[in-house]
Amino acid sequence: MEIFSKLWEGKLSQYDETRSFSAWLYRVAANHCWDILRRRKIRQDKETEDVDEVPLEHPDPNQLDRLIEQKTSEEVRHALQKLGARARMALVLRYYSDMSYDEIADALGVRRAFVGVVLLRARHELRQALEGKSALAAGGTT
Amino acid sequence: VSEPADPALREGAGGTMDHLDEMTCLLYAERQLDRGRAQAVSAHAEDCMQCRTLLRALDREARLLTRAMLEEDEPLPSRLAEFQERARKSFGWIWGVVFGLAATGVYALYTQMVEPWQARLEQAGFGGTSLLSLLVFQGAFWKGWQSMITLLEVLAMLTVAGFGVVLFRKRLRRGSALALVLAGLCAALALPLTTGATEFRNAQAGTAEVRQGETIKGDIYLSGERVRIEGTVEGDVYAAGKEVDIDGHVTGDVISGCRSLRVLGQVDGNVRTAGNFGMISGTVGKNVTWFGDSVSVDSAGKVGGTVTMFGDNLTIDGHLGRDILFFGNEVNVNGVIGGGIRQKGESMILGSSAQVDGPIRFEGKNPANVASGAKLAFPVEFTKAQQESQYKQGHYYLWRVIWTAAFVLFGMVLFLLMPKFASEAAAAGERFGAPIGLGVLVFFGVPIAAIIASITVVGIPLGILTLSLWILTLFCAEIVVGTAVGNWIMGKPVDTWGLIGRMTVGFVLVRIVYTPLAHIHVVGSLVGLGIWMWGMGAISLALYSRLAPKVSQAGMPIPPVPLPAQTTIA
Repeated sequence: MEIFSKLWEGKLSQYDETRSFSAWLYRVAANHCWDILRRRKIRQDKETEDVDEVPLEHPDPNQLDRLIEQKTSEEVRHALQKLGARARMALVLRYYSDMSYDEIADALGVRRAFVGVVLLRARHELRQALEGKSALAAGGTT
Repeated sequence: VSEPADPALREGAGGTMDHLDEMTCLLYAERQLDRGRAQAVSAHAEDCMQCRTLLRALDREARLLTRAMLEEDEPLPSRLAEFQERARKSFGWIWGVVFGLAATGVYALYTQMVEPWQARLEQAGFGGTSLLSLLVFQGAFWKGWQSMITLLEVLAMLTVAGFGVVLFRKRLRRGSALALVLAGLCAALALPLTTGATEFRNAQAGTAEVRQGETIKGDIYLSGERVRIEGTVEGDVYAAGKEVDIDGHVTGDVISGCRSLRVLGQVDGNVRTAGNFGMISGTVGKNVTWFGDSVSVDSAGKVGGTVTMFGDNLTIDGHLGRDILFFGNEVNVNGVIGGGIRQKGESMILGSSAQVDGPIRFEGKNPANVASGAKLAFPVEFTKAQQESQYKQGHYYLWRVIWTAAFVLFGMVLFLLMPKFASEAAAAGERFGAPIGLGVLVFFGVPIAAIIASITVVGIPLGILTLSLWILTLFCAEIVVGTAVGNWIMGKPVDTWGLIGRMTVGFVLVRIVYTPLAHIHVVGSLVGLGIWMWGMGAISLALYSRLAPKVSQAGMPIPPVPLPAQTTIA
């Protein structure tokens, strides 16, 4: 609601018509959410950027295959709730909204070449959450 | 934060073999690699089982994520969602049970319906090689069918045709496939024409006739307001008209569609008719098959074989050589019947001058009315119709379950054969208003149109084809309604198996709701009709959407037609 009132109050005039409206809208929404979180003094850095520094462990393909086979949609939804905001948003934009990498880059405010990394880290977080480990520890088990 | 690594190989465990890194696999699975690198990954994956497994796992993970998030939108209670997931994982045994039940259904259909019917009809003197050939092909278009087609042969032909359609459906365009079917049908119908001289007489609103003293060698097709045969036909007669009178001699069969048929002369073969009233005052050498209101065999009339009738009223005052098989309202006998009577209907009256030499089985509301002077070789076996108490019996529900499974299997096969059309029909069904409206039109309109088309000889194949499609649609209607209900409850499916799952859930729900309603007098019929119309309408709407010409999306205005010079518009 707040986002739409923001749009109404003048943000809409900043929209560049040559670009995707939905991606722009997501970006406005994302920025708005970051502002709120920042105001609440939650350390998003800990959740996202610090983790990004850590190299990812290569998964065992068979183990990964078994994990996916065993998990239900319901469990995946529960696991998604445990993810960091950025990881969750990346997965939602890609696998629910079916956005292209360019649009995701636009919405998340990262370079296009970085979208794959964000998605891969998000998936690792998700796997950790599905296995019952802490989402924040995801990706850091080299 | 580092840039993502270029698609690269990483060293495998123990340094024995290089494997693709996960990032490369992800980018490949998401089609984000350029052509050259994608080809390299593809070539590597062909040889490397581990990387192939990883690619597959990543792809499955993406689909699991999409499904999980799409289902979140659905108004499905979480317990049902979990049940659905469990069912998905137990797919093997569920389909095993469905197949088993369906096989039982098919077996039951054969042993309980097809076989007894075949036996009864053969006992009644039809002597066909199979029920299918008897009902569909016997003498109707080509007598060769009778000696050629057996049920197994038909099934084999259908199976081969089905496989052919599946194999070539991607290669055949819709128009050419339709043309092929029609050409095949025409060829099949053209075959009998070459077997003998066939004459056509069409009098439109007048009288089509074979005059007294005239002899036709071969079959004859007659159509008109009135059809009259006073001469001799040494072959079969195919007649369509309001009134058909046979005063002369027909050595073959008489096949007709009419309001009234009178046989005053002699027919050596069979009389097979769909019509209102039939009166036989002459002689029919073999059997009479009648779909319509009433048939009367006068005291002077004689039928050498059997009478099989689906209609309202049958009166036998004359002589019948063999049995009566009757489904309808009333049988009234005052003549001689050389065989037995099997009737399912309202009432049976055996008058004082009646003579029946065979067994009499009557299933109806009240016992047969037998006059004191009637001569019966066997007493009447009466069975009271127990329609109302059927639902109180356990095996009724068991058979409902078996038939439900059979329908689900039928639906599954259809959905796998035509996945896109199935989802279009289900989507059309979700629109409620339009499909029900169209369904009313199709439900009543198509059979009428088919019958009208069949009045002319040329229109007969078209009429039969239309009617067959209509019956097929009728069978599919409940499946489409089930799918629409399934979609409504569980939301949009992601793939064909999702659609099949929704069809199964929806169909079972519709059956559960409809089963108790079916026994309420008017409500049951109305709900049943509603389901049929809804489903038929949805299928018709989907068909219409496919066949209707596409309107241009560009929204280009149609240029006005230029008027000739000096034109004045009033």
